[in-house]
Amino acid sequence: MTRIILSLVLTLVTLGARAELVIEITQGVDNPTAIAVSPFAWQGGGTAPEDIAQVVQGDLARSGQFAPVDRRDMLGRPSTEKEVFYRDWRAISAEYLLIGRVSGTEQMRIEYELFDVNRQAKVFDGTETGPASEARMLAHRVSDKIYEKLTGIPGAFATRLLYVSVTRNPTGKDYYRLTLADSDGARPIVLLESREPILAPSWSPDGSEIAYVSFETTRPAIFRQNLATGQREQLTNFKGLNSSPAWSPDGKTMAMVLSKDGSPDLYLMDLASKRLTRITRHYAIDTEPTWMPDGKSLLFTSDRGGRPQIYRYDLRSGTTERVTYEGAYNARARVAQDGRNVVVVHQSNGRFHIAIYDLVTNRMQVLTSTELDESPSIAPNGSMVLYATKSGDRGILAAVSVDGGVKFRLPAREGDVREPAWSPYMSR
Amino acid sequence: MSGLALVASPFCFTVQAQDYIDVEAERRAQEQGSVSAPASTTPARDPYSSPQPARSYPATSYGVNSAPAGSSIGQSAPAPVASSAAASGGSNNLGQLVLKVQQLQQEVMRLNGIVEEQAHELRTLKEQSLERYVDLDRRVSSLTTGGAVAVGAAGASAMADDSTPTVSTGAASVKEQPGEADAYRSAYALVRGQQFDEAVTAFRGFLRQYPSGRYAPNAHYWLGELYLVVQPADLESSRQSFTLLLEEYPDNAKVPDALYKLGRVHYMKGNREKAREYLDRVVREYGDSNNAAARLAQDFINENY
Repeated sequence: MTRIILSLVLTLVTLGARAELVIEITQGVDNPTAIAVSPFAWQGGGTAPEDIAQVVQGDLARSGQFAPVDRRDMLGRPSTEKEVFYRDWRAISAEYLLIGRVSGTEQMRIEYELFDVNRQAKVFDGTETGPASEARMLAHRVSDKIYEKLTGIPGAFATRLLYVSVTRNPTGKDYYRLTLADSDGARPIVLLESREPILAPSWSPDGSEIAYVSFETTRPAIFRQNLATGQREQLTNFKGLNSSPAWSPDGKTMAMVLSKDGSPDLYLMDLASKRLTRITRHYAIDTEPTWMPDGKSLLFTSDRGGRPQIYRYDLRSGTTERVTYEGAYNARARVAQDGRNVVVVHQSNGRFHIAIYDLVTNRMQVLTSTELDESPSIAPNGSMVLYATKSGDRGILAAVSVDGGVKFRLPAREGDVREPAWSPYMSR
Repeated sequence: MSGLALVASPFCFTVQAQDYIDVEAERRAQEQGSVSAPASTTPARDPYSSPQPARSYPATSYGVNSAPAGSSIGQSAPAPVASSAAASGGSNNLGQLVLKVQQLQQEVMRLNGIVEEQAHELRTLKEQSLERYVDLDRRVSSLTTGGAVAVGAAGASAMADDSTPTVSTGAASVKEQPGEADAYRSAYALVRGQQFDEAVTAFRGFLRQYPSGRYAPNAHYWLGELYLVVQPADLESSRQSFTLLLEEYPDNAKVPDALYKLGRVHYMKGNREKAREYLDRVVREYGDSNNAAARLAQDFINENY
């Protein structure tokens, strides 16, 4: 036990820029929509606590669907409808204009209006309110609304990411940190720090809790942790493997992989009673369970056919059927909320890519061109896939849209980053 | 024993990490796995004591998440058996047995994979052959409609019905009689084989035997088509077949096609006015449902009137 040096951070401790993610857009759509986000007027005392317009602009740019206009090119900085002169915005080829006003030092209020420059008309307006400490989250909600208005797809900016970062220690044990950040990588918070590996972070369906595997007790164990209270509970402590926790869509059950009865098999734990049900029984490795959104079946990885492929277990009938056939290796499935798109780690030509498999057409489409891609996680609106990859010898996070058209990378300033988990829509 | 384990443990790991790269590696892994298997009999081996998941990045996506799965693939199941075997005297025979079981498991998994893939391939092939069949039907149909009609969708709709004869509404209560389907299919096979004279004989025989059978409307339709392509064409018989279909089975799915064909038959017989009546009727009655026959009729009117 002495060799286990563990520092638990049960309360949320904000870390400086140590493991902050920086976003670099590497590929956008061919014809992004030009949108001007005029700096929002601050209607309180002193200086504004957060540049809301900048956050919104960053979100829209990161989606790859929009090309925000540079502030320096703006001929005016309107914050009310009266101040909007369409010709100023036509002159710099902006298709849409977003203006807004921010007030409140305790309880923040953001009012915003969206204009169609070509039609010279207001198309949308709205208000977001919340604690000023959550100013960035409020800004992301504005982005969500604008994104939905202009693309027809709900935005997923007001969501959060979990990831594990590893700081190499050439003279001793590496440092593992489980970090929570906004969807743009900002405001990283270290939830858990350990000298032993942390793996497989995953979200409860309402985004209030997380589960992960930690080796802090010498053997892998599954923990759940409440994000608001920091309360932590060890769920398993079985001999052998305890891995891949996956919350059911109703939040009552957790699927997991245990090898206590021999080879790794899938189990369901009733979270209230902690009762376990073994659902697969095979001498091959069954692992990486993930729930279909309807909660009626699970996808998992198994090498019962000699190589890892995705299988589907139907909870009602208790039958297992193979899902993927294309390629020698398909593993670690994650299902989009539509229950149709499945992202997997797919091997082709000896390289590991992220691919998307359509359960309706049975088509597999490779999304990434980088090598050694792993751990895909899909945004709650089904538009983007976040995954871990390598850049040089460092592990970084990268994202790709489900059509492969938009790509960006989120390299950390320091250390390796991996195992991203995109949160569901957060309940407010 | 523990020394052996120390050496063998990383050894197993490399082997297993390669397990999914290719067949070669797999085979190698099997061979080496059998060599290293005795090592797994040591209960001292603990793949979780070191932060292995960090070690191998890509191949262990399967492992990283499932954590040390990568290091215990193929070993985890038999390990307890092996250790108990070792404990109960370390009998060499038992060790061999364990080894064999492991090999058999691997073999069964490999075979299981092959069975799954072949079953999948079969399913895919079945679907494909059905698609080809429908495609062929369409082309045969366009031939039988006199060749003038460029790959007509009317044919497709007509033929698609033929592959699995569906009888719509009015005749839905008609039960299929024993042997009827086979007789129909063999007659229809002649159409596909372009043996048109034989097909005419076969369909006539079919209608004599099953005059009010489930497939009777289809047979009438095909006779109508066939009389047009046999040498020499028998326009009057064709007209009678199509007319029979219209009168006996006014709700049948092939009615619009038959109407269109009747128009064509009358046109060939030189009766332009009568032909126009039928063509107009198809367009009028089925034109707004985007019916293929109605479209063809409209095209024919545009070209010839």
